[in-house]
Amino acid sequence: MPGVEIASITKEFAGGVTALDALDLSIEDGEFFALLGPSGCGKTTLLRTIAGLEPATSGSLHIGERDVTGLPPGERNVAMVFQDYALYPHMTVRENIAYPLKIKKVARQQRNEEAEGAGGSLSLDALMDRRPGQLSGGQQQRVALARAIACRPDVFLFDEPLSNLDARLRLEARGFLKQLQHDLATTAVYVTHDQSEALALADRMAVMELGEIRQVGTPAALFHRPANLFVAGFIGSTPMNLITGVVGASGVAFAGGVLPVAETSAPHGADVVYGIRPEYVGLAGPGETLAGSVKVTENLGAQFLVTVELGEAQIRATVPEGEEPQIGDRVGVTPDARRALLYDAAEGTLLA
Amino acid sequence: MKPFVHRVLFAAFASLIGAFFALPMLWLVFAPFDESPSLSAAVPRPPTLSNFGDLFDNPQVLRSLGNSLLLVGGVVGLVLIVGAPAAYVLSRIRFPGRNLFLYMLLLLSSVITGAAAIVPLYLLIFGLNLIDSFSGVTLALAGGMLPASIFILKDFTDSIPRSYEESARVFGASTFQALRDVVFPVVRPGLAVIAVWTAVQVWGNFLVPFILLRTPDKSPAAVLMYSFYTEGGQPNLRLISAFSLLYTVPILVLYIFVNRRYGFRFHGGIKR
Repeated sequence: MPGVEIASITKEFAGGVTALDALDLSIEDGEFFALLGPSGCGKTTLLRTIAGLEPATSGSLHIGERDVTGLPPGERNVAMVFQDYALYPHMTVRENIAYPLKIKKVARQQRNEEAEGAGGSLSLDALMDRRPGQLSGGQQQRVALARAIACRPDVFLFDEPLSNLDARLRLEARGFLKQLQHDLATTAVYVTHDQSEALALADRMAVMELGEIRQVGTPAALFHRPANLFVAGFIGSTPMNLITGVVGASGVAFAGGVLPVAETSAPHGADVVYGIRPEYVGLAGPGETLAGSVKVTENLGAQFLVTVELGEAQIRATVPEGEEPQIGDRVGVTPDARRALLYDAAEGTLLA
Repeated sequence: MKPFVHRVLFAAFASLIGAFFALPMLWLVFAPFDESPSLSAAVPRPPTLSNFGDLFDNPQVLRSLGNSLLLVGGVVGLVLIVGAPAAYVLSRIRFPGRNLFLYMLLLLSSVITGAAAIVPLYLLIFGLNLIDSFSGVTLALAGGMLPASIFILKDFTDSIPRSYEESARVFGASTFQALRDVVFPVVRPGLAVIAVWTAVQVWGNFLVPFILLRTPDKSPAAVLMYSFYTEGGQPNLRLISAFSLLYTVPILVLYIFVNRRYGFRFHGGIKR
């Protein structure tokens, strides 16, 4: 199974909008790769460029050893699952799944067998003669997956395939998709704007902003060491605390006190942004060096997200349920110095 | 008691309106079977088929119905063949002034119609040397139907997600295959609507063939009906009523056939 090699791909739309700006990306063979970013960041354009639906303005694209830059979509041997699934309403489930094989001129008998096989592996056996309009959203999504599987592509392209499902079904489908991709061991590129989806599914992922890739890495790497403030703010279901301050002898000084830092190469007096995830901030008694009053508490289920006011700044911490303070309480704040990250205030890049 | 009075009054009023529209239909049902029909609807005593006998003695009757069918076939075919691709392109390709173009097309074609258009139309067809030919009438009628047809078909096509064609293309379908396998079947009920609507309009059009055709043998049914007069110069109600009934049959058949075969429904997207 081949990977995808993207070399300085640029895509400009008529009217001068640059959707992709000299983008380089290497997606490994058999990898589940997520493209994450806010709307308008170019992630879907990148996916459509890989599919061949959008011709690249410049740059080159390889799938495995093949240069597919100039090839039409049908000759790239990729399968795409669209956000709206793009099931054909006038065809039965069987016909829908078999349609790519029909295009490839597979004999009717054989393509029906293949469709049954692909449908069966996604437990669609009982629905093969229905039309898409008679299926639930989750079933439609599985038909779209079965259709993609049936054409045995080199690469799967997923364009937010879970966003039309309700929240519970989405979690179910997410686990299912991950297992499916693992079993098939086919390279998959997955576009999403939902960071938790990307973290949960991907082997590696890229965060995009304004047509550029801001960071590539494993979900763990992006979660623990975001390379810049954009990624830091985008990843994590509770947003990272980002507090502006100045590097001093004992830590980062800001209006509400001094934040502890393990060790840093940042020079004294440098303007930095101190980043720490709420998960790595603890609460203690009001005797700590950092203390403030509780502004907001939010119930997250097993945890509470507590916002504490430190001078003019605010810091959020998560505490286990049952240990949450009351609004207005004075509490001490204990950030885990080893988990703290320092960013250059001007550039927004991570300082070592 | 008050709601009861209201309901009675409402029912009486509705019946009156219903009767107003039903009476001409009643005439159409009764008069053809009446030996000496008048302009009022009356149950014929005894009912007779002699009116139809007289009607079919006139060789022009069947020929005119045939002419009408020929015109309908030509215009419907032309409208679908030209209108469907035009609507598809207008729906899928953005170009500057697209909406302006569409609305101007619709506006002009609906403002300048019928008698207002007939003089320039006549001059145009005359200039093309197509006076007294079916192709001239077909072109003129199709030209009149196309703007609204394109507009309606564009709306149908707009409601088909682009992802349908895109997914077909990713699977390797050519543009033609995607159109044939995906777009056409989904938009087919829309095409059926346009076909029936065009057929009805052409079937009932009197003015255009009346002006553009000269040979009586080429007259379609709507024009022929105009020629049923008695020797005394009075409208021949026996022939007119019988012919009117005959004249409605093809449209009824068409409607029933299309409704059975395609149904006036629309798949559109899939509800989710």
